[in-house]
Amino acid sequence: MTTTSEPVAEQVQAFLTERTRQTWARDTDLFAVGGVSSMFAMELVVHLESTFDIVIAGPDLALDNFRTVDGMTALVLRLREAEQ
Amino acid sequence: MSDDLAGLVADRVGDRAAGWDVAGELPRDLLAELGALGVLCAQVGVEHGGAGLDSRANGELTAAVGELCGSLRSVMTSQGMAAWAIRRLGTAGQRDHFLRRLTSGELAAVGFSEPGAGSDLAAMATTITDGGSGDVVVRGRKVWVTAAHYADLLLVFGGYRGGATAVVVPADTPGVRVERVPHPSGCRAAGHAGLVLDHVRVPADHVLGGVGLPLPLVVTAALTYGRMSVAWGCVGILRACLAAAVEHTGGREQFGIPLAGHQLVGRLLAELYVGEQIATRACEHASASWDGGAPEVATDAVQAKYVASRAAAAGASHAVQLLASAAACDGHVVARAYRDAKLMEIIEGTTEICQLLLAEHVRGRAGTVRGRP
Ligand SMILES: Cc1cc2nc3c(=O)[nH]c(=O)nc-3n(C[C@H](O)[C@H](O)[C@H](O)COP(=O)(O)OP(=O)(O)OC[C@H]3O[C@@H](n4cnc5c(N)ncnc54)[C@H](O)[C@@H]3O)c2cc1C
Repeated sequence: MTTTSEPVAEQVQAFLTERTRQTWARDTDLFAVGGVSSMFAMELVVHLESTFDIVIAGPDLALDNFRTVDGMTALVLRLREAEQ
Repeated sequence: MSDDLAGLVADRVGDRAAGWDVAGELPRDLLAELGALGVLCAQVGVEHGGAGLDSRANGELTAAVGELCGSLRSVMTSQGMAAWAIRRLGTAGQRDHFLRRLTSGELAAVGFSEPGAGSDLAAMATTITDGGSGDVVVRGRKVWVTAAHYADLLLVFGGYRGGATAVVVPADTPGVRVERVPHPSGCRAAGHAGLVLDHVRVPADHVLGGVGLPLPLVVTAALTYGRMSVAWGCVGILRACLAAAVEHTGGREQFGIPLAGHQLVGRLLAELYVGEQIATRACEHASASWDGGAPEVATDAVQAKYVASRAAAAGASHAVQLLASAAACDGHVVARAYRDAKLMEIIEGTTEICQLLLAEHVRGRAGTVRGRP
């Protein structure tokens, strides 16, 4: 199965909206605006893993991969690609 | 599977936990044996020589060990946390290499805390720097590292390339000094020690992930396992206290009836029982989150650790009261529980730090104090 960026980004945005009660543009830096605690960063990791059936470990945990919706989308697509 | 392993540990421990507590020492060969059987980090997958338990089954195993011996359970927490950190922060190659070592009898300890960084781990001053010729250099001090006295591998957290990560330092590397905490007040045989790391050179491929990662994420990832383990260990403390209290108050008579027949005694038994039940439910909930891949797992682990450690400290205090002079000597299961339980309110985030994390969690969800959908 191939995954395209649009549905992944929408899914991530929906999760962020549900958890933070605000909407997030695809390129807004979540960490810069102080919207993210260490607990929430971990929540994001586990959410992406279970929703997209991927494992995010080691160097993939780099902050840049979680900074924006676009960053997380690219990470998900890359890891899904690698799974196949 | 979890029951089999618990039975095996019970068989090996026998009635020796009291003696280990008084001596402040666990038999190293027993630790190596349990390590090689995969018991000490039972969530490691079978592909890496582990038992492949899920969080719930490993939790029950941890509680069973904790019921017997808080020191052995502490060693198990360290080994499991090291394994989990390697799994989460390491590369595929590092997982294959190091996890197999952790299920082959080598023992591990995990160092976050420093003289200037207890609750405030962002103040960590240990550094891991690229040293050229395929090495890194580790410099710093760690304090209160559980199991460091026994460990072959020290998992040391520190700053790296603008972020943070952990590095696997073999304990016999030149420049490493392990200085035992002389007389810990609880979990006395768990081998707590300070580490002095003086220009310690290790191969660069011992740096987990090989890049600088966000410190909060690194710490939360590792501590989430540690919190689950401590929480289930506290369930074990409560079960040990409950069993001892029920037995003692059912057998000993004062004022012509068994102690348990006195209503004020009954109240403490009830509170002890409820503490055990609540702690168990909080742990089951957190393990279900872990096993189900629920995003809330980190918060649920904080909650479980918070609930279970407080229940254990209160429950152990009740048990001491109920056994009175019968438990007033070191080595006794209830005396150990009393000393060990209080320390469980300190490690892996103190009670106050847990409160701050939980408060932050609800605030982040203003107006949506949610149950699980
Ligand atoms: C038995 C035992 C085993 C341990 N094992 C390990 C191990 O394996 N690896 C490791 O790295 N470390 C280990 N530790 C260290 C442990 O993690 C620290 O002791 C713990 O994080 C608390 O740090 P501290 O002792 O420096 O207390 P401090 O941080 O100095 O805290 C002192 C008191 O102030 C409170 N406090 C601090 N900050 C705040 C705040 N912002 N708001 C409100 N209250 C606050 C605390 O809750 C506490 O009550 C162990 C400790 C013990 C006792």
